[in-house]
Amino acid sequence: MIEQKERSLVVIQLSGGNDAMNTLVPYTNGIYHDSRSAIHLTENKIIDINGSLGFHPEMGEINKLWNQNKVAVINGIGYPVPNRSHFRSMDIWHTAESETIASDGWLGRTIREIDPKHKNVVTAVNFGRGLPRALVCKDVPVASVGDLNTYGLMPDIKGSVQRENVLNYFSRMYGPNQGRDAILNTLSENGVSAMTGVDILSRANSQYSSSVEYADNPISNNLKDIAKVIFANVGTKIYYAQQGSFDTHAGELFNHAKLWKDLSDALGDFFEDLREHDRENDVTVLLFSEFGRRIEDNGSGTDHGSGGVAFVLGGSVKGGFYGEQPSLELSEQVEGDMKYNNDFRCTYATLLDQWLGIDSVPILGKNYEQHNFINTGI
Amino acid sequence: MSSNEILLMAHLMRRVGFGSTKDELNKYVKKGYDNQVDEILDLEPNYEVSTHMINRYQPDYESPMGSSANGATWLYRMVWSDFPFKDKISLFWHGIFATGYAKLANGYVLADQIKMFSNYGLGNYQDLLLQLSKDPAMIIWLDNCESHKGAINENYGRELLELFSMGTGNYTEKDIKEVARAFTGWTIANKDYMTAKSQRDSVWPYGRLAMHFEYKEDDHDGDEKTFLGETGKFNGEDIIEIICKQKATAKFISRHIYSFFVEDEPPVPEWPYKKPNNPEAIEALSEVYFDKGYNIKEMLRFLFKSKFFKSEKVWNKRVKSPIELVAGTLRITKEFHRPDKEQSLTNSHTQFMGQHAMNPPSVEGWHWGTEWLDSGTVVERVNFSSSKLGNVNNLGIRKIIDNIKSNISNQFTPEFLIEIVLEELGAIIVSKTTKETLNDFVKSKIDSEKDLTDDNLSEFLQLVGAMPEYQRT
Amino acid sequence: MTTSFKIESRKTMGIAAMQGRGFYYPFDLSFDSNNRIYVLGRGHDYDTRGCRITVMDMNEEYHGTFASFGTQDGQFMWPSSIAISNSDKIYVSDEYLNKITIMTTEGKFISSFGQFGKGDGEFDGPNGLVFDNENKLYIVDHRNGRIQVFDEEGNFIQKFSSQGTSEGNLYLPWGITFHSDDRLYVSDWGNHRIQEFTTNGEFVRSVGSKGDQEENILHPSSCAIDDKGNIYISDWGNHKLKVFDKEGDFLCSNRGEATLSEWAKDFLNTNVEEKEARLKSKLVFELESFKNDPFNESAHIEKLFWCPTSLTFHKGNLLIVDSSRHRIQVYNKVYKI
Repeated sequence: MIEQKERSLVVIQLSGGNDAMNTLVPYTNGIYHDSRSAIHLTENKIIDINGSLGFHPEMGEINKLWNQNKVAVINGIGYPVPNRSHFRSMDIWHTAESETIASDGWLGRTIREIDPKHKNVVTAVNFGRGLPRALVCKDVPVASVGDLNTYGLMPDIKGSVQRENVLNYFSRMYGPNQGRDAILNTLSENGVSAMTGVDILSRANSQYSSSVEYADNPISNNLKDIAKVIFANVGTKIYYAQQGSFDTHAGELFNHAKLWKDLSDALGDFFEDLREHDRENDVTVLLFSEFGRRIEDNGSGTDHGSGGVAFVLGGSVKGGFYGEQPSLELSEQVEGDMKYNNDFRCTYATLLDQWLGIDSVPILGKNYEQHNFINTGI
Repeated sequence: MSSNEILLMAHLMRRVGFGSTKDELNKYVKKGYDNQVDEILDLEPNYEVSTHMINRYQPDYESPMGSSANGATWLYRMVWSDFPFKDKISLFWHGIFATGYAKLANGYVLADQIKMFSNYGLGNYQDLLLQLSKDPAMIIWLDNCESHKGAINENYGRELLELFSMGTGNYTEKDIKEVARAFTGWTIANKDYMTAKSQRDSVWPYGRLAMHFEYKEDDHDGDEKTFLGETGKFNGEDIIEIICKQKATAKFISRHIYSFFVEDEPPVPEWPYKKPNNPEAIEALSEVYFDKGYNIKEMLRFLFKSKFFKSEKVWNKRVKSPIELVAGTLRITKEFHRPDKEQSLTNSHTQFMGQHAMNPPSVEGWHWGTEWLDSGTVVERVNFSSSKLGNVNNLGIRKIIDNIKSNISNQFTPEFLIEIVLEELGAIIVSKTTKETLNDFVKSKIDSEKDLTDDNLSEFLQLVGAMPEYQRT
Repeated sequence: MTTSFKIESRKTMGIAAMQGRGFYYPFDLSFDSNNRIYVLGRGHDYDTRGCRITVMDMNEEYHGTFASFGTQDGQFMWPSSIAISNSDKIYVSDEYLNKITIMTTEGKFISSFGQFGKGDGEFDGPNGLVFDNENKLYIVDHRNGRIQVFDEEGNFIQKFSSQGTSEGNLYLPWGITFHSDDRLYVSDWGNHRIQEFTTNGEFVRSVGSKGDQEENILHPSSCAIDDKGNIYISDWGNHKLKVFDKEGDFLCSNRGEATLSEWAKDFLNTNVEEKEARLKSKLVFELESFKNDPFNESAHIEKLFWCPTSLTFHKGNLLIVDSSRHRIQVYNKVYKI
């Protein structure tokens, strides 16, 4: 039985290493201006939030949510012994394991906890091709959707009548009449659940109606698709999407601004859509990136750094600052980067325990101190 | 229905490569089965598309950021080699000595490792392990460059015994430490610079640099060690020599070979608890291992000519790995006869299906068999093979359609169409249910020769690509 | 015989960069009348941001980038060559889209011409571009194995040569150079030779023979001619710069002597850990595996040429686009020692 209006978590990965210092800008700090001679943001355009920090000028929609007390800013987030390789650092965030190479993702393990017998093939839905390791876990199926409008089996068959016809034959070939061996059993079991998943998701697509008009760019399309699935109440607990590339070694002012404008506007539309459907309090969004960037710019951008910033947004989020804003003083820097002061797994633990109601210890391997950014009163 | 000779040859070609078309199978059958086995093992393959051609259009295709580019070059070789056996062998060893991009951030070093597998992967196992221990990608991947005289890092020592030679239960924790001591000083040249570049994904100032092995005598622990009961001032070479003498090593490698070439065994972690599917075969392969001086090629020669390999019972008893599925399909469709932009995207499909070449989930590699299949990956697999086979613009598919039309005699029957398509695709055997389903589908669409339109044939081929049998090898 | 000629490096310019200042797999360059250099980046399938034109000068001043990856006007998929007309218009060939794009030096799209095919004005992989003194544009039609001639607007004038291996035929030709009022030098990549034609398309002679020895060339990508008629060849397959005299006799070669460019120094100065680790490193060494495999050697040794794709003379400087190392190596003219 599908539980109505259940809570879900939307994870948006900012791939490539988001420049934390030009996202949450310490614009009153002289060191910011000195070290960012080429790519500092214009002071009067920065959206002040507490007198010393401000959002990037393109984060107006996120600022609206901040003003409604729905944005938790997690400063100085990272992990011990920073790694500045995209791939390794992203792996650490995905597996929640910073010392050894692990194969399971933290969300994959979470899905296994939520639905150990995988009764629901759409407990988690990934938007984009190829599964990020965060969602990978043995025996955990996850649907990967490029575009909900065209998602399905054998999409190259022209015409919906023809397609339905061919899919009937498909289901016969994967049906119970086939002879039995281990491989065929697994194939037919998964062929059938694949069809079920496709059915569920295409229904979500066709049932959707909303007055919100999203922009036409990848992250807006993904968030719109996520909204469609949320409103269909099909039991999905975890959504995943990506925005990028934040790897702004050069031309940062222009590129970084566009990435945040698209994301911030898309989130604005998404939350408006949630409000319109009375679901704002059921959805929490995490924005994270594999690392921050150098404090000092390189002439037209910034190189790979460490300590960064993450955001948790939603109607059930207690807005405010969590974690500390790292000092920019030279003596406090780690090899030219902002020093992390709170482990990203504290944020994961908070989301697991306080939002999804799942014991975080078996998933993260130990007990991490938690933030209190979830409004438990709701 | 194809003759038994053809079916057996099709089985061989699926296992030594990525499958063969009808024309190829006919040619090989004429040579005779044993001759074909010998040729595959002994001849150097030709590549229809040279490395120069790839570099001309896709400069430095192996080394840029991300592991997908070098995977695409490798896939290219699998598709455009006359005998892709050597690439299959690299794939076999890559699954066992699984090394990943995440920690290296250098595609060139990984591509070099794959080349090493292709050069040494059919020789003596002792040589292969020696090359592996000197391989820069492996040295970084398992931290041997962080293992020093007086301050060992056990990572490589442990995996060498557990995953690369004997399997758990055949040595002690003390043995692991002794192995790690023996491999101290085995590192890469310019280690600080190379790891600094890797740790920051640095392509600056002038792109990535290939790496090479360096032995540092002054960082090597030259004292006495005791390993598996033998004592001496062992260096890495001595350890490998001792490892290769072990019965456990022979069995471990034999089981891997059996699983990859004959039928899926359970994943490695279950080996200590589950008996092999065919213990006699493992025993026989182990014997060849010792008789032929640890020579992998001779083990395979024995295997391909053995009764247990030829037996119908093991035909199609493996689930195609994503790379096998993609490479095999592209060999049929004959895409990318010259380097093209689409090849990278096409290569990414293996990742969508859960096998990202050179980016394994961990040092344990991928879990194979039915573990390739879940409701997410089945969608990717079915969609890939059906849309590729159903694309009538692909050279190989166009040729199949021409063959259908030119072979049609007097009366069209659904059986005829099904038969010819399954033969053309490499003598695929299908169940009664599948055949009936295909039959009903054809009947609903095609009455006579004039209905053999591109649209109808495309739909039919898409259904063929979607059938469960196509997922097996 | 001891070589009595020498060619040496003056400096290196550029840095690897997917965006902004620097290049990513540069393929070619051209100068405008203000001595600005337009470097054409090929980019890479996995990072198409590198597909762009970077503007700089011989003092290594950076003047911005324009153009991007795509199929729209002013975008490229597989850009191959760049030439600038007497009136300072930029021409870029795209061997994937089979067209030539014309732009201003500010990067504004003007027009484009060409499509796939074998007919007049059609291409199968347009490559090398060069203007003669009369502003006629010569285009290497790669897979059609011919040269096509156009006016500045892209109107077809004539064509010559055809695919093949005989003298005067071309097989997968790449670069083209104009010299001495009426001569064209085509890098016949697939036939391992340089072929000289008159601007009317008459075959004159062929220089070079296939091989990996000093006097041979392997898959040449481009060539340049100095005032004495000496022929400089980017020996793409041997990863070398080769110099032949005007009779076609071998003079000398260079395997690459890149140094740190100003932009490279800037990078190392802001990323000190890397700089320090680099200073401690031995960047030049010998390995067994280098034998007969210069590609592999170039992958290991940073200063060596790695797939040089284009040669250009400018005011006595020879600029070599060192494609897989994302830089331009600058050499002097060959001289006697």
